[in-house]
Formats: sequence, C-alpha cells, structure tokens
Amino acid sequence: MSFEPRIIGFLCNWCTYAGADLAGTSRMQYPPNMRPIRVMCSGSVDSVYILRALLDGADGVFIGGCHPGDCHYVSGNYKTRRRMVLFNSIMRSLGLEEGRVLLRWISAAEGKKFADTVTEFTERLRKIGPNPFKHLWEV
Amino acid sequence: MLLMKMLRVRRKDPEATVVEMFSNWLRSGKVAGLLVPAVSKLGIAVPVLFSDPERVDNVHPFLPVMKVNGASIVAEIAGGGSSGVRIGVVLKPCEMRGVVELIKLQQVARENLLLIGVDCPGTYKLEKVKAELNDSKGFVRNFLMEQGRYLNEPNFRTACQMCEFSVPLVYDLAIGFLGLDPGQELILTAATELGVSLLDGLETVDIAEPPKARVDYLSELSRIRQQQAVEKIAEFDRHALGPERLVKYFADCLNCHNCMKVCPVCYCRQCFFESEVFDRELDDYVRVSRRKGLNRMPAGTMLYHLTRMNHMMTSCVQCGICEESCPVGIGLTVLYKKVSRNAQAEFNYLSGRSLDEPLPLTTFREDEFREIGEE
Repeated sequence: MSFEPRIIGFLCNWCTYAGADLAGTSRMQYPPNMRPIRVMCSGSVDSVYILRALLDGADGVFIGGCHPGDCHYVSGNYKTRRRMVLFNSIMRSLGLEEGRVLLRWISAAEGKKFADTVTEFTERLRKIGPNPFKHLWEV
Repeated sequence: MLLMKMLRVRRKDPEATVVEMFSNWLRSGKVAGLLVPAVSKLGIAVPVLFSDPERVDNVHPFLPVMKVNGASIVAEIAGGGSSGVRIGVVLKPCEMRGVVELIKLQQVARENLLLIGVDCPGTYKLEKVKAELNDSKGFVRNFLMEQGRYLNEPNFRTACQMCEFSVPLVYDLAIGFLGLDPGQELILTAATELGVSLLDGLETVDIAEPPKARVDYLSELSRIRQQQAVEKIAEFDRHALGPERLVKYFADCLNCHNCMKVCPVCYCRQCFFESEVFDRELDDYVRVSRRKGLNRMPAGTMLYHLTRMNHMMTSCVQCGICEESCPVGIGLTVLYKKVSRNAQAEFNYLSGRSLDEPLPLTTFREDEFREIGEE
C-alpha cells in the first residue's frame, strides 16, 4: 500500500476556513489527507500545537491565515509570520527542517488556492515520506 | 551619555576599593541595599543583599563563581512592581542581560534598580574551586591579577568558554578590570545620570576612551571565545542533528523541569508544562499508547524541550545555568548557544543588548519576511 500522509491543518476562521468552505461548496476535488482544525486566528497557533502534532506522528502541519494586511484582528498574522521565522530557525538549527510545516495565506475568496495548496502539500509529503517521529516511540 | 573615569586603587586592593565605594553609597543613602556575590565564613559562595556598610568582609563583587543567574534573584526580590526602594544590583554581563530581558518582559521594575555591571572573563566550575573558596580574598585577588590564563581556561564553565560578552552591555555604572593592572586602577563607566551621581567624592581621573591595552585585550578575548564557540557547536552538530540523534541527545530527560525553573528568562508564573493541560487521566495515556503501540515515560519530554526553545530562545542569554541544574547532564549549554544565537540573528536581535530594542515576538514590520507564507 502506498504511503498516505496525514496532515493536521490549523485554519483561520475568517479567511482560510472560509476558503476551505468555498472549495467544498464549489465541488473542487482535493486529497482527503488533511484534518482541519478551525482556530480564530493563525496568530493563536502556538508552536506547541505544531510540535505536538509532529511528535505524535502527523506527517505534516498546515497553517492557513489571512493575507498580510487583512487580519481580522489587525496584526495577528504578522505575529504568526514572526513566529514561523523563529520556528523554522530552531528546526534548522536542530537538523529537523524537512518541509513538514507549511504556512500559507489563503483568503475566503480563494477556494481554488486552498484546494491547490492541499494537493501540492500532500504531494510534497508523499515524496518526503513518513514522519520519522512516528516510529521513535521514545519521544 | 558615557562618562569614563579611572579609579585609583588603594593599598593595591581592587576589591576593597570597590567595596568601600559600595559602603559609601549605603552611608549616603544612594541605595537601600546591594545585591552582590559573597563567600561566607564556611566557604559558601552565594549572592547576598547587604545593607550594613560595616559588614563588608565577605562581599566579593568580582567573585568568578556563578551558581545561580543573578537575574533570577533580582526577579524574585524586585519583581513586585515599583516599590519606592532602590537597590543596587552588582551583576556579571550575562546576569545583566537577563535583567534587561526581564525588564522588557515587565517582570522587574527598572526604577527599583541601580544596575552595576562588572567585567567577567568567565566563572569557574564550582567543583574546581571549592577548596580555594576557604581563602576567598586570596582567590579573588589571584583571579584579578592573572589575566593571561582566562583566554583558554579549561576550568571555566562551558558557557563561559564560549562567551564573547565579558563586559556589561547595559548599566548605570560599569566597573572594569580586564586589560588593566587592577592593583593600580579600575575603569568606571557611567551610562546614566544615576550612574554619574555615584561617582561623587571618588579619587578618579577623567578619560575620553578606554586604554588601548584594555581594548586590545577585550578584542582578543572575544575572538578566542567566538572561536571556541564555533568548535563546540561543530562538535554538537556532529552528534546531535536530525530526529534520531536529537531524541538520543534528550533521551535521559527526567521531566524535572529544572532547566525551566533556574532559567533567568523563563518568567511565566505558571509554566504551560506544569498546568492542568498536562494533568492527564489514565485512560488518556492508555489511548495514546494504543495508538502508538507504546508510550515513553515520563511522557512528553521532547515536546517540552522543543516548545521551551520556541518560547524562550529570543531572550536566552546563554548563561548555561540550565545545564548546571540538569540532574542527568544533558548538554543544554551548547545547544542553546547555537539555537538562540541563530534565532536572535533572524530578527537582528541580541538578548540583553538594549532596553530600547523591542522583544522580537512582541513587534513586527509590515514589509518584512515577505517570503514566509508565499512560497
């Protein structure tokens, strides 16, 4: 059986979640690999959520937020962006950066971009392979 | 504002000269007390808060021992908001950097503190100098005089061997001895009005810039330390990078959270990892172990360490006290040196460098990091 990645998605209520809704109501086809979790803002996604998903065996984590300048809470996504810079830097310093975490800005009008992003991310993770932490039960 | 003066050392005793200056501040009411390293008659090295200008025997402002980061003590005793009392805190550069971060994190009120920074070329591993602490005066005197050996001192703590910040970065008044003959003179630098007011009545000579010998010495020290950091990080990279090796690196973690408790910049009153979120029921553990096949105990150690890095690395001052407190000897000093330095560099930030630089995660610019989220 071929490897099917399991993705945890944190979707901002105001933009990306609505974008996902639009993709659905427009009957767009995309892989069913992502388990979406609705959050009020991408800025509320603490690193601990991303890390817990990865350490517990998710193959990828997707974070969707409003485009810069469009945040419902004015500046939440600018803070998300800084937090991702920090997160990526730490993962790189520890040799853990494998492209398993993806942040993308997707508005409520971008149903197609949402479907394309999930398709593309799923493809990417199929190539990268299973998350090694899945089998390192020691963690 | 920077006012520099050379202080004449009396009776070839730099420590006594400085302690006498402290006593005068206490007598004249400039400070209500001073937090300063000391060695008790039993040879125990601890910071003390001293308020009696006559009881100065055990006080050692230059003591090259650090069992606790002084910033933790400052947060503990001066963390209650503005109180109308001002104490002087005599701190090494990494301790001062911790205090600066805590001020920015609104954990310590700046107006309660007079920041006195001292030079620090490094602090000894405690077990290497325990015997010498019985003659603390002689120990500190030798330490001040024999500056050649600091450059490559294997008995210094690992963090100190990699530390390029031997002089304080933020202070009201800084007291320096590196690159000088401390039997003759010390250098005093005042950076604030408050610092200048402390210089009244001292036997000093104004100078426009630090002596060349000092500048040269500090740049050589900094160069060697950076070199040592590069070597130690390269060694770390050889055996710790990647999921499997990192899991091994943290394999012995007991989940005691000592590294968090002793960390000067880990400031939360209630750590997330000690909150109810982690009070899990037995059936929850069973559910996880069924899903994974089996579940390591104590659980969640890796999550703890990686999350702690994400929460603290922009403020880490690389003092290495976390590793000293680790009962199983996990090499946190080198790891945090690398991780925090890289993380801070992303934001062009250096922990404890300035009170005016905003903390990286509390600020943003609209026109930065445009590639993130757009790839």
